[in-house]
Amino acid sequence: MSEKSITASRRHMGLKAASRVSNTLIHILLTVISVIWLIPFVFILLQSFRVESTWQVGYVVPKTWGFANYINLFDSDFPRWYMNTFIVAVVTAVLQTVIVLCMSYTLSRFRFKGRKLLMRFMMILGMFPGMLTMIILYRVLSDLGMTQANAVPGLILVYIASSGMGYYVSKGFFDTIPKSLDEAARVDGATRFQVLKKIILPLSKPIVIYTILTAFMAPWGDYVFAQYVSMGTSAGKNVAVGMYGWLNKDQIASRYTMFCAGGVLVALPVTILFMCLQKYYVEGVTGGAVKG
Amino acid sequence: MASVKLTGIKKIYDNKVVAVHDFDLEIKDKEFVVFVGPSGCGKSTTLRMIAGLEEISEGTLEIDGVVVNDLQPKDRDIAMVFQNYALYPHMTVYDNIAFSLRLQKRPEEEIYRKVTNAAEILGITEYLMRKPRALSGGQRQRVAIGRAIVRNAKVFLMDEPLSNLDAKLRNQMRAEIILLRQRIDTTFVYVTHDQTEAMTLGDRIVIMKDGFIQQVGTPQEVFEMPRNIFVAGFIGSPQMNFFEGELRSDANGYNVSVLGKRIALDEQKCELLRRNGVAGLKKVTVGIRPEHLEVDFENGDSSVRGKVRVNEMMGSELHLHVSAQGNDNIVIRTPTVDLSAEHRSSLANGCDISFSFRSKVIQLFDPETEESLLYR
Repeated sequence: MSEKSITASRRHMGLKAASRVSNTLIHILLTVISVIWLIPFVFILLQSFRVESTWQVGYVVPKTWGFANYINLFDSDFPRWYMNTFIVAVVTAVLQTVIVLCMSYTLSRFRFKGRKLLMRFMMILGMFPGMLTMIILYRVLSDLGMTQANAVPGLILVYIASSGMGYYVSKGFFDTIPKSLDEAARVDGATRFQVLKKIILPLSKPIVIYTILTAFMAPWGDYVFAQYVSMGTSAGKNVAVGMYGWLNKDQIASRYTMFCAGGVLVALPVTILFMCLQKYYVEGVTGGAVKG
Repeated sequence: MASVKLTGIKKIYDNKVVAVHDFDLEIKDKEFVVFVGPSGCGKSTTLRMIAGLEEISEGTLEIDGVVVNDLQPKDRDIAMVFQNYALYPHMTVYDNIAFSLRLQKRPEEEIYRKVTNAAEILGITEYLMRKPRALSGGQRQRVAIGRAIVRNAKVFLMDEPLSNLDAKLRNQMRAEIILLRQRIDTTFVYVTHDQTEAMTLGDRIVIMKDGFIQQVGTPQEVFEMPRNIFVAGFIGSPQMNFFEGELRSDANGYNVSVLGKRIALDEQKCELLRRNGVAGLKKVTVGIRPEHLEVDFENGDSSVRGKVRVNEMMGSELHLHVSAQGNDNIVIRTPTVDLSAEHRSSLANGCDISFSFRSKVIQLFDPETEESLLYR
C-alpha cells in the first residue's frame, strides 16, 4: 500500500469512528426520551395489577399481583361505556373514511363551478374551534332525541357531520397520482366509482389507513362533546366521560386501581391498531412525498 | 372497426381560449389517420374529444354513424394508448392487460386466452407477472398497447405513444406499430408532433396549427403539394428553404427570379399558376427543399455562389448550411456516396460553394396570405 492510500484509509476510518460516536450519542438520547415517554404507561400498567390496595401507594411495583381490578370493571358500567365508545368509534371511522375519500377524490379530479370557493370556505370554517358549535349542536341533538341515554347515534352524527372538511391530506395525495391513470381506466370501461375503488384507493393505501386511524382516534378519546351530549345519564357515556367520574373524591379511594385497569383496556385496541399499521401511518403523515 | 366523423368540432375552454376551431374530418373505416403539429396546436385535445375525456364545446362527433357527443368514454368502445403509458402501477402486466376485460365480466378462460395472445403478439409473455415498474420504457409501451388491443375496440387512439422513448427504440416501435396495424386492421387515430412518424405511419395526415387544420392529405400529397408555408416548413427534414422572389408572366409562360437568378417554370407549374389566376409581376416566397438544391462543382452560369458556414456530416449525407445573397441559412442536403475526397474537402466550413435549383420541384407561396400559388 502506498503512503497516500494509507492516509486515505486512515482518514476514512476516522470518519467512520466519528459517525459511530455521533450515532451512539443519538441513540442514547433517543433511549432516554423514550424511557421518559414510557414511564406513565408502565406506571399505569403496574398499578392496574395491584390488588393489595385500591388507593395510591408510595411504591411502584405491586406487592400482590392479580386481575381483581379488571374483574371489578365488569361489575361496573364500564362494559357499557366501552361498547358505546367502540360503536361510536367504529361507525364514525367507517363513515368518515368513506366521506373523506369521496370528497377528496371529487375535489382532486372533478372541475366544477365553485370548487375553489368551496375549498377556501371549508378551510376558513375549519379554523373556528369546534367547541363554538356545542350549544347549538346540543339543541339540535336534543330536539332529535339523540342526547343522554341516546347519545351514541347523536355522537356519531356530530363526529361525521363535518368530516368532509378533513379532505386536505388525502386530496394532496390523490393529486400526486397521474390523471392519465383515471383516464386510461375510464377508456378501459370503468365508471368514476370503479376508478376510485380499483385504481386510486389501492394506490393510496397509506392515506386510507391514515384516514381510518384518525377517524377512529378522535371519537375514541373524545371527552368534551361526549360529556355534554350524555350529560346526566350513565347509559350514554363513553369511557373517557364514565371513567372521569371515578376520579371525584367520593369514589377515587375505591376506584383508583380500577381506573388504571380501565385505562389499559382503552389503550389496548389503539395500540394494536398502531402496531399493525404504523408503517402506513408514517407514510400517510409525511403526505404526498411518498408514492404508494 | 368503424368510421369516425367530426363535423364542426370546437373546443372552447372555460377561460374562453379556443383550442380547436371548426374541425371537419371524416375518417374511413380501417384508415390510419395521423394528427400532427407543433405543441399547443390542438391535436391532443381533438383526440381527447374523440375519446370522451374532453367535452366537445360545439359540433358533432359520430362513431359508426352514431352521435357520441354525450357518451362517457366507457360507452364509446374505443381504446387508447397514452404518452406516459398510464399503466396501473399496483397491478401486474397480466392484470393491467386484463383490466378492461374484467370490467366487462368476461369469463376467466377467455381473459387468459386474450391476454396471452396479445402478450405473444407484442413479445411480452415473459413479463406477464411483473409489475410495470420492473419494465423498461419500451416494454411498458408494449403493455400499454397490449391493454388496448385486447379490447377489440372500434377505434384505436394513440396519443404520442413513442415520444417518451429514445430515438433507437422509437424507430423500432414505429415499425412495430406498422406491423400491428396490419395485424389488427382497425381504425387508428394517432397523434404526434414528429413529422417522420406522421409520414411513415399515416394513410392520411392532418396537419394542425393553432387549432386550425392546415391541410389533410396522404403523406405524398402534403410533401409534394403543401397548401401553405407552414405545411411546407413542417413536413420534411431538414426544413424547406424559403427565399424572397419575384414572379413574372410573359408570352412564354412564367419565370421567377430568386437569389439573383432567373428560373423559367415548366408547363405544369405555369398551368397551375394560370388556373389560380396569378398574372403580371408579383412578389412571392419561393420554397425549395434541401435535397432539391444541387452542389455544382463546375461553376455554371446558372449556379448561385455562396459560402459554407457549417458542414454537418450525417453519414450517408451532408447537411450544408450556406450563406448566399443575403440569406444566412440555406440548407443543402447532398448524398456522400458519390462524393470524391477532393469534392468533399471543398465543402469544408468556410469554403466557397456554388449550387443550383431543380426548378421542377420548387414551391411558390403568396408572401401575404402564405398560401401556395400552386395548390390545386
